[in-house]
Amino acid sequence: MNTLDLNQEGVEIKKSVCFFCHQNCGCNVYVKDGEIIHFEGDPEYMVNSGALCPRGNVNLIHLDHEARVNFPLKRKGPRGAGEWERITWEQAIEEVGAKLEEIRKDFGAEAVATAGGTSRTDDWARRRFMNLFGSPNGFHNAHLCWIPTFMVETAIYGWCPFEIDLGMSKCIVLWGQNPGASTFPEMSALSALKEKGLKIIVIDPRYTESAAKADLWIPLLPASDLALALAWINVIIYEGYADYDFAYEHCVGFDELTEHVEEYTPEWAAPLTGLNPELIREGAIMYATNKPGNIQWGVAVDQMGKPSGATMHARAILRAITGNLDCPGGDLLTGPSQEFITDEEMELNDALSEEQRAKQLGSDKFKLLTWPGYSRIAELTKNYWGKAPTAEWMCEAHPPTVYNAILTGEPYPVKALLVSATNPVNSYGESEKVLEALKEVDFLVTCDYWLTPTAMLSDYVFPIAGSFERPTITSTYGCSDFLMCSQRAIQPMYERRTDFEFWRDLGVSLGQKENWKWDTLEDAYFERIKDLGYGVDSYDEFVELYRFHFPERQYYKYLERGGFATPSGKVEIYSSVLEELGYPPLPEYIPPVENAIDHPELAKEYPLTLTTGAGINPFHHSEHFQIKELRFIRHEPYMEINPETAAEYGIKNEDWVWIETKRGRIKQKAKLTEGIGPGVIYTERGWWYPERDMRDPELGGCLESNTNVLTSVADENCDPITGTWANRGLLCKVYKVENSEVKGVE
Amino acid sequence: MSQKHGTWDWMLAVDFFFSGMGAAMLLFAGIAEFVLENGYLSTIGIFAGAIFIMIGSGILIFELGRPFQSWRVFMKPTTLMSFGAWNMTIAIGAGILLGTTWINLFPWFGIIWIRKILALVCIITGFIVAAYPGLLLAMNKARPFWTGSGMVVIFFVSSLLTGLAGYMVCGLFGDASPVIYGIFPYVAAGLCFLQLVVWISYILSKTSGISDREAITTERWIKGNYAAPFKIGVLLIGTVVPFILFVVPNLIVVVIASLLTILGGLIMRNLVIYAGQDRTWLPGEIEYRSKLPHGDEAFLQKVWTKKI
Amino acid sequence: MARYVMVIDTRKCIACHACTVACRVNNELPIDMIYNPVTTVGPEGKFPHLRMLHIPLLCMHCGNAPCVSVCPTGASIQRNDGIVWIDEKKCVSCKACIMACPYGARISNDQTGTVQKCDFCKDERVDQGFVPYCVQTCHQNARIFGDIEDTESEVFRLINTSKTKGRLLEDLGTEPGVYYLY
Ligand SMILES: Nc1nc2c(c(=O)[nH]1)N[C@H]1C(S)=C(S)[C@@H](COP(=O)(O)OP(=O)(O)OC[C@H]3O[C@@H](n4cnc5c(=O)[nH]c(N)nc54)[C@H](O)[C@@H]3O)O[C@H]1N2
Ligand SMILES: Nc1nc2c(c(=O)[nH]1)N[C@H]1C(S)=C(S)[C@@H](COP(=O)(O)OP(=O)(O)OC[C@H]3O[C@@H](n4cnc5c(=O)[nH]c(N)nc54)[C@H](O)[C@@H]3O)O[C@H]1N2
Ligand code: SF4
Ligand code: SF4
Ligand code: SF4
Ligand code: SF4
Ligand code: SF4
Ligand SMILES: [Mo]
Repeated sequence: MNTLDLNQEGVEIKKSVCFFCHQNCGCNVYVKDGEIIHFEGDPEYMVNSGALCPRGNVNLIHLDHEARVNFPLKRKGPRGAGEWERITWEQAIEEVGAKLEEIRKDFGAEAVATAGGTSRTDDWARRRFMNLFGSPNGFHNAHLCWIPTFMVETAIYGWCPFEIDLGMSKCIVLWGQNPGASTFPEMSALSALKEKGLKIIVIDPRYTESAAKADLWIPLLPASDLALALAWINVIIYEGYADYDFAYEHCVGFDELTEHVEEYTPEWAAPLTGLNPELIREGAIMYATNKPGNIQWGVAVDQMGKPSGATMHARAILRAITGNLDCPGGDLLTGPSQEFITDEEMELNDALSEEQRAKQLGSDKFKLLTWPGYSRIAELTKNYWGKAPTAEWMCEAHPPTVYNAILTGEPYPVKALLVSATNPVNSYGESEKVLEALKEVDFLVTCDYWLTPTAMLSDYVFPIAGSFERPTITSTYGCSDFLMCSQRAIQPMYERRTDFEFWRDLGVSLGQKENWKWDTLEDAYFERIKDLGYGVDSYDEFVELYRFHFPERQYYKYLERGGFATPSGKVEIYSSVLEELGYPPLPEYIPPVENAIDHPELAKEYPLTLTTGAGINPFHHSEHFQIKELRFIRHEPYMEINPETAAEYGIKNEDWVWIETKRGRIKQKAKLTEGIGPGVIYTERGWWYPERDMRDPELGGCLESNTNVLTSVADENCDPITGTWANRGLLCKVYKVENSEVKGVE
Repeated sequence: MSQKHGTWDWMLAVDFFFSGMGAAMLLFAGIAEFVLENGYLSTIGIFAGAIFIMIGSGILIFELGRPFQSWRVFMKPTTLMSFGAWNMTIAIGAGILLGTTWINLFPWFGIIWIRKILALVCIITGFIVAAYPGLLLAMNKARPFWTGSGMVVIFFVSSLLTGLAGYMVCGLFGDASPVIYGIFPYVAAGLCFLQLVVWISYILSKTSGISDREAITTERWIKGNYAAPFKIGVLLIGTVVPFILFVVPNLIVVVIASLLTILGGLIMRNLVIYAGQDRTWLPGEIEYRSKLPHGDEAFLQKVWTKKI
Repeated sequence: MARYVMVIDTRKCIACHACTVACRVNNELPIDMIYNPVTTVGPEGKFPHLRMLHIPLLCMHCGNAPCVSVCPTGASIQRNDGIVWIDEKKCVSCKACIMACPYGARISNDQTGTVQKCDFCKDERVDQGFVPYCVQTCHQNARIFGDIEDTESEVFRLINTSKTKGRLLEDLGTEPGVYYLY
């Protein structure tokens, strides 16, 4: 880089963020004449204080990458042929709007569904559009990512304690979480606090970057977390480590629990978890005696299918019986913001009629994350906090059920799918089915940065503005009580626009004009913050002068608020909300969806235990595989296998191997490592090959190494409470790829 | 790929080989000037010596990343490589001139004092050029197989041996001094023996490990992929066999022996140079590098152009 | 006189490779050229009793730099502040320095016909008063840069207070300017 003078005339520094993951690391972006000349991590932004991860470093490469979609595209040839006509944004919106209107007329609004991914963009706008349009069938793979945790915990103590008071904590349990690969700011905080004596417990089948730095690593079998959690409760209660005052004064159901967990001893859990009972005890005691302590959310628990809900329930109980809730150093129940306008308040959920709500796909089977459970939770939280959690995310159609409806027309036909901020083939369960559905659906529209396999199959593709081209409010799925605000550095390049503009324009074209009064995303953001009392006249002004809004931290809110946001006003160890919805009020043991004990036949053919996916660097799910600077660091997919097991199957390091479940098989390269137990297999997630032919049927090899080919979304494998499906605790087999077959892979 | 972790390769081996052989030939020519009564060894031999060094340095130039900038290697004579370059250049000049003093076309033909001066220069530069490649390698602490004075001896001995061989081959063309087939074969035999001893003790001393990294890099010479070419190529064909043949009083046999030592010298230098690719790997480095792309991967080849 | 060094805290590194990417992107290196690899040692041991370390590398800016003493063209230079760099105008890629470097820190670039290496980002960063890119980008603070002569500096403090520290291949006498904490 030739040293360029950043102090030269006419250079502005914009307070922007990297938009490649939830962290939204602050960036100072140097702009001259509407062009970015340089950027760097913002030293004053507390999340990253000037640092950036590998992805953050490629922002400018990403910004104008040759493979980016820059103009609205309309399909010319057959679906997937990759023949596009470039049209204007206005024409694209017109035509898509007309088509949706037609579908609504013939099949009803519910025949239009929309798929999202992880929290990336302004999905309150998506929800607002869907509510006004009249369809209850918006969804994300939120089911796999924190949302089930949020809802189960909110059912039990009235909010999800996702904010942890780490500074004063003495012990943190990383339960199925690996900040060392996924959440860098948290990781650096942990290393720093470890030096001051913070105890770190890692519960993970793999010896991860985080496990390597932990005081205690508990390498349980995939999806056996429920057994472990129940055994921890047993130890804490029966060996006298519980906080009895809190348990009796502020909880209901402690006695029932005591009785309920009596037989769930460490000895009972040992064979189920593959752990030595002493290790189970040691972990429980370390957590219960180093107080205050935290249990950090890890996404793994959201992805076990059937046992997930009960596991979250048990994990929530652990916080309660150790008195680690809402106390200094503990897991805080901040509640939604009392001050600014939350996402939920932007969603116009009342606009969706009871009749349409009732049609939400999956709401008859999986009640907590759909209208039945959400309405109950919303009622409780509104009474208590005055506000409800974001409905987008917390109240969604069940994705596998929607894909099924597309394929079978049952219970009713779904004709249009609007895909925004997700690459479904890659991230949803049973990819082969998802791909079929994408090909089957009558009308497919994709909003993305790239021509993903999904975009390739679409009728229309909308070019979306990304990092530095859009303002951003960071607020944990709209549920935090704080705000971190950032501005756009430049106007979107080419004909890219924000997702907000997509939903707004689509809404306007469908007669929702009066409900979309904002000209720009900044206007919409300003409406949300203007009453915070900072006396600013615009969103940008707020960013430049204040940028953050952090309310004063309060502890023990349940004392002055008179309890918790539950029907009884107490922590409901014995959950009346779950009971009302027809679920066990106390967590009963549920084994992994596929296991040798209950499925001996299956285990004969598929003898190994599988867990699929985890955060890996330098990628974010299926993103950034086009970017050579990143791909060079990790250019092939790896599965992990213990050397003993590998020897049994004649697999050597670096061999390409097939990993196969009842659903299908994929290719990844073998990494032999002691970092995973014998008999356990781990596969990387996110893999596709954008450098390949992107046209159907090749579609960038989107199934070849895609771990979701292996996962299961069958109703009986989903968690009855939350509907989350099974990525972990499946049965599989592995075998060497014959040289002749290696061809396919680069 | 633009990047190559760029270590020295066969080109340098061939350079070292020719310069070493040529330098030794000039060295002998120079010595002959003072010890033989007519001072004559072999005109063709002298020219061959100079030309071999030329070939050597020519190859070296092509080995450079920027051949047209090759003059820069003369810039720091205090460095061994620069010093070597100077000596090679002078040796070439002195050698050619020395050769011409034996050709009556040239005015200075037969002027003894000129011959003596040139001979002296050939002795000095010839000695240096014959010895310095070994030194150049020996100085590399980073390369376990090279480091240590042994390399100097190995290269010097081999240069002398191939130098003698050079004369015994050149002797076939044009008139050669009787010593070339009279005494040289026996000296060569002696050098073969010395070479055998030097190599065996070198390998032994390396394996008995001054440091375990040296032991590790030496394994390939004993059991690894270098074992065959080393034992058969260098030790047997290039050293033991000629040792026996040299003492057979027969011109053809002696010439064959010479060619064998030359072959052995070539193989030896290649093995030694490539052995230098083994660095002392840092913790985890081998694993790390083995996972990096090679450069032909589709994702690296891919060019996206369409702005859509 | 300043003496710039880097302290690397292997207890903090998580092998995210941000430093590698930051170096490549900001120094505009060819896609396949890496000045500062991050290697992983382990997991060592037998499941479940394991140990794993990540080791960020780069040019050690040796106090006694063999790469400089062998360079026949004078292209390899060491500044008084210890920074070792290559004046590419002078380099002819004879590779003597590559062979001389015990740390694989030097890479020949076939396109330019020169050799390249880490120069502690002297032009864009250090001489402008900033830390190198790889240090700036490290969210784990595993790479710490500074002047060891300055008794106030963090590197001075770390090097003089930490018990578990070392340098790579010290026995070669290169006097590396990169210190590892473990
Ligand atoms: N087997 C298995 N499956 C998993 C997981 C696992 O661990 N194992 N993890 C799960 C988890 S936690 C999650 S969050 C999901 C993630 O699943 P997804 O969110 O679907 O993640 P990606 O596959 O990266 O898809 C994101 C897409 O959105 C595009 N994009 C990024 N930002 C924007 C934006 O602002 N607007 C628009 N319109 N597009 C944008 C990207 O280019 C990319 O194509 O995957 C889940 N799936
Ligand atoms: N580099 C990178 N960072 C990311 C992302 C990314 O894709 N790449 N994605 C972002 C997103 S959307 C999310 S949700 C977060 C998630 O971040 P985390 O919550 O840290 O989740 P992961 O890193 O996906 O996986 C956590 C660990 O769960 C372990 N695990 C697997 N199966 C089981 C099991 O059955 N039980 C238990 N206890 N553990 C198990 C895995 O080995 C893995 O180490 O990361 C975010 N950050
Ligand atoms: S991708 Fe990296 S730099 Fe960007 S926000 Fe996430 S952690 Fe920060
Ligand atoms: S950036 Fe820091 S943590 Fe990441 S690999 Fe480099 S040194 Fe390690
Ligand atoms: S590490 Fe290598 S390149 Fe860097 S100074 Fe030391 S010897 Fe020279
Ligand atoms: S390659 Fe360049 S820098 Fe290295 S020694 Fe040769 S001339 Fe000097
Ligand atoms: S100091 Fe600069 S040049 Fe050296 S490795 Fe770090 S970023 Fe690269
Ligand atoms: Mo996620």
